[in-house]
Amino acid sequence: MLLLAKFKVIGHSMEPLIKNRDMVLASSLFYLFKKPQIGDIVAFRDTDKILIKRVTNISKEKYFLEGDNKKDSLDSRKFGFISKQKILGKVICKL
Amino acid sequence: MNILKNILKLLPEKFAYAHCDIPCGIYDPYLLQRAAHTIIRMTQLLTELSVADQKKAAHDISRMTHVKEEHVDILEEELDTLRNDYFKEEHFAQYPNLNDLFVKTLKAASKARQEINVEAAQEALAGVLEIAEIFFKTKNVEPVRVKSVYPTGGEIVLHK
Repeated sequence: MLLLAKFKVIGHSMEPLIKNRDMVLASSLFYLFKKPQIGDIVAFRDTDKILIKRVTNISKEKYFLEGDNKKDSLDSRKFGFISKQKILGKVICKL
Repeated sequence: MNILKNILKLLPEKFAYAHCDIPCGIYDPYLLQRAAHTIIRMTQLLTELSVADQKKAAHDISRMTHVKEEHVDILEEELDTLRNDYFKEEHFAQYPNLNDLFVKTLKAASKARQEINVEAAQEALAGVLEIAEIFFKTKNVEPVRVKSVYPTGGEIVLHK
């Protein structure tokens, strides 16, 4: 859970909206009373790293996450749906 | 707004990954070194620029600054790739100065971007060469410094 966290984004999979080295702000507060929605950009834990991707599908409380830059993104197309427990927060804005 | 800005500044900076993360294993400090030399060269040219023809000088300053900016971007991106994708915890444990080296090199590159400052550009190259040497050592090949063929006259790191 992230009350409020500042992330430097490494990589190109969320381009053109979020570019390599952009700073973004994320928070879990949005998901205290509401579930992640299709279209949300979320920070989530994947083994030892935190990744950011966009929610593109939801099925049975599981979330399908994809990069905006589909040509260069390792995402749910490879690792499948993820559970809500792995979602740390919603990306609120770019800094 | 200032209060908000200060709060945001106080937040610790973490990394979030948005890369393809396909383990291609293709890492090389070549681009990094070329970018560092280009930053030096553009800084040298800006320093030596004649302002006799003001229109031409303005044009040249614009172009050289643009190329310098582009190569600081390349240098930062290449450093990020090595730091976040290639080097692992065991490398940072084996070379305890490695993280400081990244920080120092990024700061020098930032200064070289902001100013027409040959010393800062040289400092960025020095850091890059040390990082390149560590990179090759982690690949179990012997790094070797050779004089570059660039007009900067500096060195580059290759391996045997």
